[in-house]
Amino acid sequence: MVRPGGELATRPLHFIWLLDCSGSMTGNKIGTLNHAIREAIPHMRRVADDNPNASVLVRAITFSSGAKWHITHPTPIDQFTWNDVQAGGVTDMGRALLLVADEFQHLGERGLPPVLVLISDGQPTDDFNRGLEALMAQPWGKKAVRIAIGVGQDTDMDVLQKFIGNPEMTPLQANNVETLVNYIKWASTVVLQAASAPPSQPVDPTTISTTNVPIPMPATPDPNVSDVW
Amino acid sequence: MNQLLNPNQTVRTTTSGTACVVEQFLGGGGQGEVYRAQLAGQPVALKWYYPHQATAAQRALLENLIHSGAPDPRFLWPLELTEADGVAGYGYVMPLREPRFRGMVDLMKRRIEPTFAALTIAGRDLAHGFLQLHAKGLCYRDISFGNVFFDPQTGEVLICDNDNVSAVGTEANIQGTPRFMAPEVVRGETRPNAATDLFSLAVLLFYMFMMHHPLEGKKESAIRCLDAPAMQKLYGEEPIFIFDPDNESNRPERGLHDNALIYWPIYPAFFQQLFVQTFTKGMHKPDERVRESIWREAMIRLHDALIYCPACGAENFYDAQRMQRTGGALAPCWQCGQPVSPPPRMRLGREVVMLNYNTRLYPHHIDTNRRFDFSHPVAEITRHPANPAIWGLKNVSAEKWVTIPVGGSAQDVLPGRTVTLVSGTRIQFGTIEGDIRV
Repeated sequence: MVRPGGELATRPLHFIWLLDCSGSMTGNKIGTLNHAIREAIPHMRRVADDNPNASVLVRAITFSSGAKWHITHPTPIDQFTWNDVQAGGVTDMGRALLLVADEFQHLGERGLPPVLVLISDGQPTDDFNRGLEALMAQPWGKKAVRIAIGVGQDTDMDVLQKFIGNPEMTPLQANNVETLVNYIKWASTVVLQAASAPPSQPVDPTTISTTNVPIPMPATPDPNVSDVW
Repeated sequence: MNQLLNPNQTVRTTTSGTACVVEQFLGGGGQGEVYRAQLAGQPVALKWYYPHQATAAQRALLENLIHSGAPDPRFLWPLELTEADGVAGYGYVMPLREPRFRGMVDLMKRRIEPTFAALTIAGRDLAHGFLQLHAKGLCYRDISFGNVFFDPQTGEVLICDNDNVSAVGTEANIQGTPRFMAPEVVRGETRPNAATDLFSLAVLLFYMFMMHHPLEGKKESAIRCLDAPAMQKLYGEEPIFIFDPDNESNRPERGLHDNALIYWPIYPAFFQQLFVQTFTKGMHKPDERVRESIWREAMIRLHDALIYCPACGAENFYDAQRMQRTGGALAPCWQCGQPVSPPPRMRLGREVVMLNYNTRLYPHHIDTNRRFDFSHPVAEITRHPANPAIWGLKNVSAEKWVTIPVGGSAQDVLPGRTVTLVSGTRIQFGTIEGDIRV
C-alpha cells in the first residue's frame, strides 16, 4: 500500500426510470424506449465514472395495468443491464408513484437528490393525484429531481407538469425517435451530473435555478422534424 | 453523438491559415467539444465552441491569452484561433495532453496510486503554476478536479481549460465549480478573483493530500439530502473547517469521513497549519489565505521531510515540531504502527532535508540564487562501493564543494566525489552550508 485510506467518500444517488408500458406504447414506441435506455447506459457509466461524489444506483418501474418494479435492486451503474420492457394494458401511473413513495420511506439517512424520470405517452387511468400526494408526502419525494418526457402528441402534458411540480420547468415532448433518444440521454447524463457533482457554473446559465437542483435544459428539437409515431 | 466537427474535417488557423485536420472526438464539456487534430504534422488538441458559447467576448478573451502566451509550460495554453467554412463559431488549438497525465478524479477513485513524494511534487508544481499565472495579473476562476492533470509516477502537472483565464478585475462568465468555490462566491457576493483562486487551490490541495473535502464533517453528515440549498449552507453560509482548532462543531466523523481522520495526523504540523490558516482566518478574510509562494515552499519542505519506515518501508514524515513537543518521538508508522526514527539529515540554512537512500539535492537546496530550480540534481545519496554500510552524499554537480569534518580540516569535494555521512560534518556548497546529523 502506497498511501492509506479509501476512495473519496460518496453519497448514494438513486436514479429511477418510471416507464409507461401501456398498450398504446406497443410497436415503435416501446422499441425506441428500450433502444434509448440501452443507448443511455454507456453515457451514464461515463458520467458516473467521472463523478467522485456519487454512487449511482439505478432502478426501473413499469406501469400499465398496475405497476411493478422492473429492476428491483438499486444497481450500481457499472453492473446495470437492461431487460426490454413489453407493452400492454392501461396507464396506472398513480400506482407507479405509490411504489416510489413506498420505497422512499426506506431510502436511508444520507443521499444526493434522487432522480425520477417519468416517460409516458398517454393519460393516467388510475388515481394519479393520490400517487403524487403520497410521493410528495415523503421528504425524499419533495427533494427528488422529477423529469418527465412525453412520447408523441397524445400525452397528457398537464399530468406530467403536475408531476414535475415546478412551473418553470416543463415536461419535454419527444415526437420522434431521435428526440426521445436525446432526451433520455440528457436525463441520464446532464441531470445525473447536476444532481451529484454540479459542473462549472456559468454566470447566466439557461438553467432552472428555482429548484433545489439547477439543471441545464436540453436543446429543443427542430419543430420541422416529422412526427414518426 | 451530435458532434460539432467530424473526423478528417479541415479547419484553419485564423492568422496563418494553416490547415488543422480533425482526427478524433475526445470529449465535450459545458462550453464546447475537444478533438485530437493534426496541425502542420503535429498532434494538437482542438477545442470548438458550441454556437451559443462562441461569443465575441470569449473570442476577444482568447485573442488576449494567445497574445500574452502561457505563464508557465505547465499550462495547456491556447496557441491559435481556428475557423472553418460552413461551421458556425470558432475554436482554438492547444498542446495535446499526453496519456501519462491523469485526472484528479482518477486520484479520488484510487485508479492511480501516486506516492506521497509524487503528490508533493504535484502540489509544488500546481502552486508554482498558479503563482506564475497570478504574477502575470491573470486569474484562473475555476480551479477544480476537471482542470488539473498530473503524472502519478513523477508528479509533473498540467493545467488545462484556460479559456476563462483573464486579467484580474475583469468580469468573466463563470462562477466556478461547486465544492471548490470560495464562500463569498457561493453566497453571490463576488465573482471569482485571485483571492478566490487561492481558496479553490487550497480545496484542491486538501483533496489531493487528505482525499476529503475540508468542510465536510459533522455538518455534512447532518444533511440528509445534499442538494443545492444544502450545498449553499455547507460551502457558503456556514462554512466551518473540519479541523478548526477553535471550533469543534464540524469535526470529521468515523465511518463517514474516514480519509480525513486517517490522513490529517500523518502530516507535519507546519503543513496542517497552512490548511488551518486558509480555512479559518482565510475563510472570511481573503487576504489571510495562504499564497501560492507559501504553498510552493511548503510542498518542497514536505518532500524534504519524507522518511521511510524502517520496518515496512512506507513513506512517513519528519515533524520537528512534534519531536520538540514529545521529547524526540515521531508518530508511529501509519501503516505498520512501528516506531519511526529519523534517518541522517542535513540542515541547510532554515531547512532540514532527510537523507534517505534515494534523496537528491537540487540547486534549490544549495544555491540561494537558484531557488525553485529542480532541473538537475547536484547531490545524491550513495553507498560506499566497498562497504555498503557506509552512506555518503555524492557531488553530482559541476562545482567543487568544501567539507569540514568534526575536529578535522577542510577538504575539497570535487565533482564525482562523495562525503561520508557523519554527524557534525559540514559541507560548504558555495552560498549555503549544510550540517549533517546522523
